[in-house]
Amino acid sequence: MTRLHHPLPAEEEGDRSCSTSGIALQLVVNIIVLGSIYALIACGYVLIYRVSRVLNLAHGELMMLGAYLLLATASLFNGHPAIALAAAVLLSLLAGALVYVFLMRKMTGEMVLAAILTTVALGILIRGAVLLIWSAQQQYPAQALGVANPSFSLFGGARISFWSAVLVAITIAVYGALFGFLRFGRWGMRMRAAGQNPLLAAQRGINLHGVYALAWCLSTLTGAFAGILMALDSGLTSSMPIIGLKAFPAALVGGLDSLAGALAGALIVAGAEVLLIYYVDPLLSDVVPFLVLIAMLVVRPWGLFGTREELDRV
Amino acid sequence: MFRPAPRASGYLHTGYGEDIALLQTRTERASLAVFAILLAVFPFLASPFALDLACQVFLASVGALSLMLLTGYAGQISLGHAGLIAAGAFTTGILAREISAPFWITLPASALTGIVLGFIFGLPSLRLRGLYLAVSTLALHFVVIYLGGEYETKRGFSTGIVVDPPRFAGMKLTDGRAWYFVLLAAAVVSLLICVNLLRSRSGRAWQALHVRETVAEALGISVARYKLLAFVISSSMTSVAGCLFAYYRGFVSIEAFDLFLSIQYVAMIIVGGMGSLLGALLGAAFITVFPYLIEALLRLLPNVQKLAGEIFAVNYAAFGLVMILFLIFEPLGLVGIWHRLQNYFLLWPFRYKPLAGARK
Amino acid sequence: MLKRIVVGGLTACAIALPAAAQDAYLVGITAALTGPPSSTYAPAVDALRIYIDRVNAAGGVNGKQIRLVIEDDGAQPSKAVANTKKLITQDNVILMVNASLSSTYAPVIAESKNANVALLFASGVCPQSVYPPADPLQFCTTGYASQFDSRATLEFIKAAAKGTVKIGFAAMAIPLSRGEMDYAMELSKKMGMEPVDQEVIPPPTADYTSFATKLKDAGPNWVYSWAPWVTQVRTLEALRKLGWDSDYIAWGHLEAEAELARLKDGKFYVVNSNALFQEKQPIHQEIEVAASKAGSKFPAQTMTEGWIGGMAIEAALKGAGWPADPAKVRAAMENLKIDTKGLRGGPIEWTKDNHFRTQLYYRVYKWDGDKIARVQDWKTYEVK
Repeated sequence: MTRLHHPLPAEEEGDRSCSTSGIALQLVVNIIVLGSIYALIACGYVLIYRVSRVLNLAHGELMMLGAYLLLATASLFNGHPAIALAAAVLLSLLAGALVYVFLMRKMTGEMVLAAILTTVALGILIRGAVLLIWSAQQQYPAQALGVANPSFSLFGGARISFWSAVLVAITIAVYGALFGFLRFGRWGMRMRAAGQNPLLAAQRGINLHGVYALAWCLSTLTGAFAGILMALDSGLTSSMPIIGLKAFPAALVGGLDSLAGALAGALIVAGAEVLLIYYVDPLLSDVVPFLVLIAMLVVRPWGLFGTREELDRV
Repeated sequence: MFRPAPRASGYLHTGYGEDIALLQTRTERASLAVFAILLAVFPFLASPFALDLACQVFLASVGALSLMLLTGYAGQISLGHAGLIAAGAFTTGILAREISAPFWITLPASALTGIVLGFIFGLPSLRLRGLYLAVSTLALHFVVIYLGGEYETKRGFSTGIVVDPPRFAGMKLTDGRAWYFVLLAAAVVSLLICVNLLRSRSGRAWQALHVRETVAEALGISVARYKLLAFVISSSMTSVAGCLFAYYRGFVSIEAFDLFLSIQYVAMIIVGGMGSLLGALLGAAFITVFPYLIEALLRLLPNVQKLAGEIFAVNYAAFGLVMILFLIFEPLGLVGIWHRLQNYFLLWPFRYKPLAGARK
Repeated sequence: MLKRIVVGGLTACAIALPAAAQDAYLVGITAALTGPPSSTYAPAVDALRIYIDRVNAAGGVNGKQIRLVIEDDGAQPSKAVANTKKLITQDNVILMVNASLSSTYAPVIAESKNANVALLFASGVCPQSVYPPADPLQFCTTGYASQFDSRATLEFIKAAAKGTVKIGFAAMAIPLSRGEMDYAMELSKKMGMEPVDQEVIPPPTADYTSFATKLKDAGPNWVYSWAPWVTQVRTLEALRKLGWDSDYIAWGHLEAEAELARLKDGKFYVVNSNALFQEKQPIHQEIEVAASKAGSKFPAQTMTEGWIGGMAIEAALKGAGWPADPAKVRAAMENLKIDTKGLRGGPIEWTKDNHFRTQLYYRVYKWDGDKIARVQDWKTYEVK
C-alpha cells in the first residue's frame, strides 16, 4: 500500500473525519465493533472449556452454520424476518445439542489431542457440508430477509452500521446474561461445579452429560448470534470460520476458563489489530491475534484471568 | 514392525550384532526382500498417475514419520507441522532463486532452518503441556506462514517461486521414475533414522517423558534437553521433506501450507495409529490416497461433470467424516486394524488371543 | 474381513483406472470453483460446460465429442499447477483452460510451456503476454484486460467528473490487481487527476472497515477498483457504511448485473465489455433457455464469459480437425474469428501476433432509480 501526500482537509460536506479526533473516534468505534465480534465468539470457547476442558476448534464453523441456517429459514419464512431469525437461533441451539450427543459424548475421557482433533474434524465436515448444500457463492441474508442495514452517525463524525450496533448490544446482553446465569442460575452453578471438579460433581448427583450438553448448546447459541449478525452486517462467505480462529487467541489471552477474561482478551486483540492495520501494515491483520497469543504464552500462559493450575493438567 | 520379538522359538544369538539386528527371522528377511522387489518393479508397471501418487505417499511419509516421532513417541503435541514444511520449502526456493544454489546446498540449508525453527517451536514445550503447547505451535505456524507471505510480497514473488529441478551430474531430475526412487530412498532413510533413534537412548528417554515427566526427571533424564531434541530432530526432518516438496512440485507458494496441511499430518498419525512407525506410513498412504479414492468413487456416479465443482466439498466433508469415525471407533488406527488382521492369521483356526504369543 | 477385502479391491480399482475412451477432444480446465473469488469463475465454468454440452448434443465438432476435464484449484497457485500437471500428463488434454485468479497464472503458464500445450484464459483476466507481440501459447477471450480497462475507465471519469478529480484506488493483494492500480495511478496523474490513496486488501479479509477507513480519510471524490468482484463490492459497502457517498467505479464482472440491483446505489458505476442481460438480445434468451434446461444453480446473467469461452473452444477445435494434437489446436487458434452474437460490442479476432483481440469495446452502466441505465455506449479502442 502506498500512502500518498495527504491533502489538506477538504471543504466538502460531511468530510469532517479528516480531523485527527474524528479518525481516533472512528478507530475507537471500529475497535469496539471488532472487539464485540471477538468477545461474542470467544465466550463460546470459554463456556465449553470451562465446563468440560475441551477446546472446541469447530466453533468458527458452527458459527458459520448458524448464519447459513438463517439463510435457509429466510427462504422458508419469506416475509417474516423475526420468525426466520428466531427459527435460525433455535436450530443452532439444536445443532449444538446434537453435536454433543452424537459426537463429543463419545470422546469424554479420551486424551486431549483426540478430543481437539474430533472438533477439528467436525469443523472440516461442517465446512464441506455447507459448501455442498449452499455452494461457495457470496450470500446476503439481509437481502434474503428483506431487512436493510443503514449506517448512522455517532458523536464526533464516527459512523457505525445498524447491525454492528445491534451486535455490540447483543454482546453486552449475552455477557450480562451469562454472568448472571453462571453466578445465580441453578444449572449455572452446576456448570461451574462440573468445571471445577467433575468427579465430585458427579458424585453429588449432577448430571454431567446434561451439563455438558447445555454448555455446547449455549456455546453454539452465542456463536450463532455472532455469525448471524456478522452475516447481516457484511454478507456471508464460506471463509467465515477464519474469524472464529482469530477469536480463539482472544479467549486464550484472557484465560480459557474466564468469561471476564474473554471480554478483556477480545478488546485487547481487537485493539491491537485495528491500530496495527491503521498505523503499520494492513496485511498484518491475519497474524496479529497470534502474535498477541505468543506474547501471552511467553509471559503468562494461563491468560489474564485464568486459573493458574490449568497448566499442570495434561 | 521391526521389533525384535521372534515368533518361533529356538533362535540363538551368538553375538551382539545379531541381537540388535533389525531383521531377525528368516521370514522377516524374506518378506522384506519380496516387498523391496515389488517396490522396485512398481514404477515400470504403473501408470504415470499411480507413479505420481506413490511419490506423494513417500513425500508425505517423511513428514508423517517426523511427526510421529514428536507426538507419538515424545508426546509433544504439534499443530505447526505445515509451517515447518513451508520453512524448508521456502529456504529451498529462496536460495535457488536468489543465489541459484544447487540442491546439495539447499538440502542442508533446509535442515538447518528446521533445526533453528525446531528450537523455537520447542521452547514453549519447556513451560507448557498438552493443550497450551498445541496452541503455541499453532500460533508459531501462523507466524511462519505470515513471514513467508511477507517475503513473497516484498520480493515480488507474489505468485510464488518457481524452482528448477535439481541437477545430478549435469542431468535434470524431471523423470517420474527417477523421482520415485529418490523419494523412496528419502522415505527409507527417514524410517531407518526413526527406527534407530527409537532404539537408542534418545528414544527411550522420549518414551519415558511421554509417560510421566516427573518420574523421568527423577530417573536422571534431562527432560528439557530431550524435549528440545525431539523438536529439533523432528523439525529438521520435516524441513528436509519441505525441500523435497519444493523440488518435486517445482513451485513454492505460501497458500499451499495452510492449517489444513497441518491437520492432514496430524490425521496421518492418528489414523495410522499413534506410537507406531508403521502407523505413520500407513496413515500417510491412507490420507494421501483418500481424496483420489473419493474422486474415483464420485466418477462412478452419473452426470459427473456437474459435480466437478462439488468434488472439493465432498473431499472436505469425507475427510472430516473419516477422521471422526477413526477417532471414535478405531482409536488404535490403521495399525490396530493391521494387527488384528495379523492376529487373525496367526491364531487361525483359533479365535481368541492367548495372553502371550500374539502381537498386541 | 470381507469388508476389508472389498474396500481394498475398490482402492486397487480406483488407482488402476485407465483413461477412458480416447475418441473425443480432451480439454482440461483448472478453475477457482471454490474460494473467495469463486463467484466470478464458477458460473463461467458452468456456462462453458453447458455450451459444450449443447455442442455435443448437436453432434459435436468434426463429428467428435468434446470432453471437458474440470479441476478445482480454489484460486491457489499450488493446486492450479498440480491440476495442470495432472491434466497434461495423465489426461493428455490438447488444450488447457485457466478460469482462475491471476495469481495462478505463472506456474500454469510454466507447466503448459513445458508440454507445449496451448493455454486459453477464459473468465480470468487477460495477462499482458497475449497482447501483441503475443506469446505463442497463450490466448485470452476474457472481457477484462490490464491497462486497457484502466485507460477506458479513467477517460470515462475525466469526461463524467465535474471539477478536479481526487481519485482513490482499491486493489486486491494479487499481482495483477496491484500492478493495474499502480498503472492507473500513474495514468491518472498524466491525465490531470490527483491520486490520493491506494489500498491493497488481502483476499480472505473478514472486515473491510479498516481499509475503507483509511481510504475515506484520504478524501477522494472518485474511487476506482479493479479487482475480483468480492474486493470491489465489499470496499464499496464498507465505504458507504462509513458515510462516504461519492462516486465509485469498478469493473463489471459477471455478478455486476445482479449486484447493481441489490445495492441500488446511484453512484456506483460499472465498466463492462459484455452486454447486460437486461438488453434482452436473442443470444441472451438463448443462454437463459439453455441454463434453465441444464438446471444450473447459477443465474443466467453470469454466463457470458463462459459462453464466449465455449465459442472459442468450439471454433478452435473445429479448425484443428481430427485427429487433433496440441500443435494443430494452437495453429487453429492463431487464426480465429469468433462472432460473439451481441454478447460483446464486436467480434474477437486472433492473429499470429495478437492473441487478445484487435478491437476492444466498453460500456458503462449504473443503477438509475429502478433499473440499470447505460451511461456510455460502446466505445472502441484499437489494440496495437
